[in-house]
Amino acid sequence: MSTPIDRPLAGSSPNQSEAEIYDRGYRHYDGPREGRRHAIQALIIYSIKRGLGIKKRWTAKIIPILIYAFAFFPVLIIIGIRAFVGDAAGSLSYLSLYGAISIIMVVFAAATAPEMLCDDRRQKVLPLYFSRAISRGDYLLAKISGLGILMGTVALLPAFILFLGSTFLAKSPVTYFFDHIADLLRIVAVGTLLAFLFASIGLLIAGFTERKSIAAAVYIGAVLLVAGFANALFNAINAGWHRYFILADVSAVSDGLTSWIFGIPLSQDSMTAQANLNGAWYLVTVAVVVVACAAVMFRQYLREE
Amino acid sequence: MVVTPRSTTRTRGSIEREDAVTATPSSEWMVESTNLRKSYGKVIALEGLSVQIPRAAVGLLGANGAGKSTLIKLLLGLQTPVSGDASVLGFNVRTEPLRMREHVGYMPESDSLPLDVTAADFVGHMAEISGLPTREARLRAAETLYQCGVDEERYRLMREFSTGMKQRVKLAQAIVHDPDLVFLDEPTNGMDPAGRDDMLRLIGRIHNDLGITVILSSHLLEDVELVCDYVVMLEHGRLAMTGPLTSLVQGEGDVVVQIDGDIDRFVGELQARGLDARRRDRDILLAYHDESVFDVVRDLSIDQDVLLRGLRRDTRTLEDVYLQRMSEQTENEAANVHAD
Repeated sequence: MSTPIDRPLAGSSPNQSEAEIYDRGYRHYDGPREGRRHAIQALIIYSIKRGLGIKKRWTAKIIPILIYAFAFFPVLIIIGIRAFVGDAAGSLSYLSLYGAISIIMVVFAAATAPEMLCDDRRQKVLPLYFSRAISRGDYLLAKISGLGILMGTVALLPAFILFLGSTFLAKSPVTYFFDHIADLLRIVAVGTLLAFLFASIGLLIAGFTERKSIAAAVYIGAVLLVAGFANALFNAINAGWHRYFILADVSAVSDGLTSWIFGIPLSQDSMTAQANLNGAWYLVTVAVVVVACAAVMFRQYLREE
Repeated sequence: MVVTPRSTTRTRGSIEREDAVTATPSSEWMVESTNLRKSYGKVIALEGLSVQIPRAAVGLLGANGAGKSTLIKLLLGLQTPVSGDASVLGFNVRTEPLRMREHVGYMPESDSLPLDVTAADFVGHMAEISGLPTREARLRAAETLYQCGVDEERYRLMREFSTGMKQRVKLAQAIVHDPDLVFLDEPTNGMDPAGRDDMLRLIGRIHNDLGITVILSSHLLEDVELVCDYVVMLEHGRLAMTGPLTSLVQGEGDVVVQIDGDIDRFVGELQARGLDARRRDRDILLAYHDESVFDVVRDLSIDQDVLLRGLRRDTRTLEDVYLQRMSEQTENEAANVHAD
């Protein structure tokens, strides 16, 4: 903590000294120490900044900027067009929005989850964290929270903008707001569940490799391959239980969950509609995936190096 | 949770706290371990290590693989011992690791810095992780980096830093939160001679001027000799020797005399004058009582017309101590093999 030296400079009168001289010597710290909660908050903020490429080279900022552009522009453009041409422009349902956003979230999680974990392990920074007054569980909690918050901005904000746009463009905004106020809760529910789903898979994969590029490739590859495999089995098998294969396809889970929570019927052409599963199955799937990923990740990190 | 500021009175390497909540249990020893055992698969890293380390600048010596880094990791709670127990600053490392780590800093041996972050941001972040408020953390990061010899460079990404600069940043993050004790694991690793001297001077200052107790792990005897005043030597995971540096390097005889002439006759004359003298190869060793010993030797050499080539107090370097220890161990092993 720098404090001005209280002695005036030799040869200078106190009135002349507008400037202050700082003693930069090391001194013992007697100020407040704000404990683990502050440490976890600091790690969350630091992780979010790294995820967004803040204070990093410009190349690290490209993917977050593109992700946010893809997540927000469609909603803003639709609302903009509707503002000029009215309902003739058509509307964007939450089902369509989350259908697009779930793809963006896969890419975002693939890019950001490795940023949260891989560098700390590859550059051997973990001993510096774990030799301080935080536990390994605190570290993971901060990383999960950091990624959850980032994913939440993509999962929640475009839908909120759509809600606000629809409200202000309605003939009677006040009536529309109160008629659709439950949509706000639905947005929070769907957004949070999808954020946890994609984040937990991303962190699980990132926890097993030190290379960010490998983690990102494995994430996208795994999601696509598992979904493709599940769809193939769904189509190939005629037995009644074949419909449960759809739960291995994250985009189907996203569609099913959104349709169930918002009460919007699915297109009959989609396999999710053909599977005709109760919406609770999608909720259980998300819960199982999140808990399983968290358990494996904690086991991986609580193990000593 | 905001913890009340510590009320700490610090003398060199000692802590006295008034705050009951954050008080360090009083302990005569800075570090104590009892039968500490650690193995990695079939490889035994520490074999029942029991040691008591006082509050001092402590050199943790041993060859590569002797168990120095493992001991530090166990003391920090980064690894769990197979058996045994240890305490640091009076805190049990198994049951109170977080409270212990509030008072401890650590500079690991390996590269452990994120390369795409500036030194100022990273050290500030580490200060925050240690609980310092954001603004205080930034200020202390700047001050500590400055003290460690990283000034304007602190705003550069660490990927541009030399090995020496990275070592300085590692040291800065270890002391930025004002710990009572700092573990430095091979701090001069990979540094050129000039950088190594700078680093050792810096470590000496941390202990002597800032009052932060230092445990310096090194396989370089000169490093320990320059900085430390207490030595713990490990060998194959066991305690080889421990004690104050001065007592370890003290020679067998107190005064060494070197002459040109009949050595045995000179020894006899010294003994006749009541001195405890004996021959060691080409040297004569004399027990030191007071300065009059030097006068007796000078007078005798004149009386006997013997050329006095050397007259000095006998001290050994840490290297002598280490080599002697190694030689004793080799002899013991050979004797054991022979006995079998």
